[in-house]
Amino acid sequence: MKKVIISVLGIDCPGIIATVSRFLYENDSNIENVSQTSLQSEFAGIFIATVPATVPIPEIEQKLADTVEPMGLQVHVKPVEPRHQKKTAAVAESFVITTRGPDQKGLVARITAIIARYEVNITNCQAVFKGGKDPNDNIMIYEVDIPPQADQSALFRDLREKGAELSLQVSIQHRDIFKALNRI
Amino acid sequence: MDTMLTSREIVATLEMLQSEHLDLRTVTLGINLMDCVSDDLETLRRNVRTKIKTLARHLVATCNQISDKYGIPVVNKRISVSPIAIVAAPFDASQMVAMAQTLNDVAAEVNVDFIGGFSALVEKGLARGDRALIEAIPEALSRTERVCASVNVASTRAGINMDAVLMMGEVVKAAAEKTAAQDGLAAAKLCVFANIPQDVPFMAGAYLGIGEPDAVINVGVSGPGVVRKAIDRALAQNPGWDLGMISDLIKRTAYKVTRVGELIGREVAESIGIEFGAVDLSLAPTPNVGDSVGEIFQSLGLRNIGVPGSTAALAMLNDAVKKGGAFASSHVGGLSGAFIPVSEDLNIADAAREGHLCIEKLEAMTSVCSVGLDMVAIPGDTTTETIAAIIADEMAIGVINFKTTATRLIPVPGKKAGENAYFGGLLGQSVIMPVNNARGDNPFILHGGRIPAPIHSMKN
Repeated sequence: MKKVIISVLGIDCPGIIATVSRFLYENDSNIENVSQTSLQSEFAGIFIATVPATVPIPEIEQKLADTVEPMGLQVHVKPVEPRHQKKTAAVAESFVITTRGPDQKGLVARITAIIARYEVNITNCQAVFKGGKDPNDNIMIYEVDIPPQADQSALFRDLREKGAELSLQVSIQHRDIFKALNRI
Repeated sequence: MDTMLTSREIVATLEMLQSEHLDLRTVTLGINLMDCVSDDLETLRRNVRTKIKTLARHLVATCNQISDKYGIPVVNKRISVSPIAIVAAPFDASQMVAMAQTLNDVAAEVNVDFIGGFSALVEKGLARGDRALIEAIPEALSRTERVCASVNVASTRAGINMDAVLMMGEVVKAAAEKTAAQDGLAAAKLCVFANIPQDVPFMAGAYLGIGEPDAVINVGVSGPGVVRKAIDRALAQNPGWDLGMISDLIKRTAYKVTRVGELIGREVAESIGIEFGAVDLSLAPTPNVGDSVGEIFQSLGLRNIGVPGSTAALAMLNDAVKKGGAFASSHVGGLSGAFIPVSEDLNIADAAREGHLCIEKLEAMTSVCSVGLDMVAIPGDTTTETIAAIIADEMAIGVINFKTTATRLIPVPGKKAGENAYFGGLLGQSVIMPVNNARGDNPFILHGGRIPAPIHSMKN
């Protein structure tokens, strides 16, 4: 058996997970992990599965593509690379960065450029744009893991400066506060 | 692995911080001074200074750092100490004033705005040190800025020490008169208690009880603005909600607010290597719009705090806050409930000015709130006997109902009912409330002695 990752993209409709999982079942494969999300009307799903070692990956991809083609979905299958996790990842501190203010081109690019410069990994990123005229209804949320060697205060300073430049209200808070407030 | 935070959780938390004044009202470092004692005043003062400086030197910096990390303001950093009447028991009143000066100086050195514990516990009788401390209070509070005093004159187990009550009537008046230019500010730093808790983090009542450890971190959470907004939001969406549902909402909100206190309190305690004590989950207002307990009454549908229905509303609010808080933290202490300090709450001060709230109604409400007649400005010509009698009434409510009650009355020198008293900062400002029989005599109070402890059965 070998491990593959399958991504599925397309317009959301009932039956996507059912179709993909039936295909895997009928092809002697086992789903190890699955995650899906939908943004507006679009669906994206990723599956990690073990498939028979004897079948070449391009063949699996082609068969799956044919199966989901009537649903208007695109698929991509690739082998799962062995994980080379950095040793320090375990002690990284999790923070939540939010920016609030007028939507504009390059907003995410400019904020994430700073985060990347400090080699900080984004673990989750969400946009909460309610629409309407109030710029305060536009919130970008970045959950990040800050490794101990990163200069936390310099990172925070740079983010706040960039925020001021873009007329954004930037807040940076340790993740635990959100857990403490919202979870039992 | 942790589950991902939802955007709703994150946005709700941001709202609480950015528009609802969620903060940690105080981190209070309790310091036991019993190992500083000496029969030589200078030795005692030196020991006290050294101990406080050693333990508190990183307090403010640590609080600021942790406040930054979580994005939650820690508004006040304070110190509470063992009752000075015991620590400095061998000394006379003028030496007690010198002790107050030492506390004030060291508070300034470690950059805390208030230090509490210029206190005596006299519910059953006055020892030498107690007498000296009480006598020193007016001078001590008028010569210092940061020292807070409290005297416990009654308890459910001991009854009410009416001799001490009468003394406190005189002390309150003298303290106010010594700070006449500041509308009697010294009296705003003095609380008279029944059933004082040993671990109050809030001023002016904070002191470190005799049963407490060598050093301990107690925190006081706040959050009236958060509770009010939660009620407003819920009622806008569901105007038909009944009081059971509203009470449940307050409970859930109090839970969240208390969790913040617990998280930050524990981390501050751990960082400076001191034991964590308790969270005082009180709704403590400040004189800012949106940070008011009085506004909650309006959100509940009362025209103003003080109108009929206010006592019932406060009872529900206080109880719901306790229930939510108790679930959020295993170590709840201090006063825990809703504060209704008149001058410190813009909305309550307005209710007093407009005549919706009078002292008698306020007194009734204190039987169901967490403290008592708090920050109440009264006419400067109120007699000491009348002040003592108001104190006695408030103590009786606490003693009979097994609860903490207190008075912080400010007889504003040279001013009459209806005029304005201004204390500044967090102490706020208020109209001076009229007092029934303000200038009359009161032979009842002059009997002295002790009102016996109440019977603990036949509860009606």
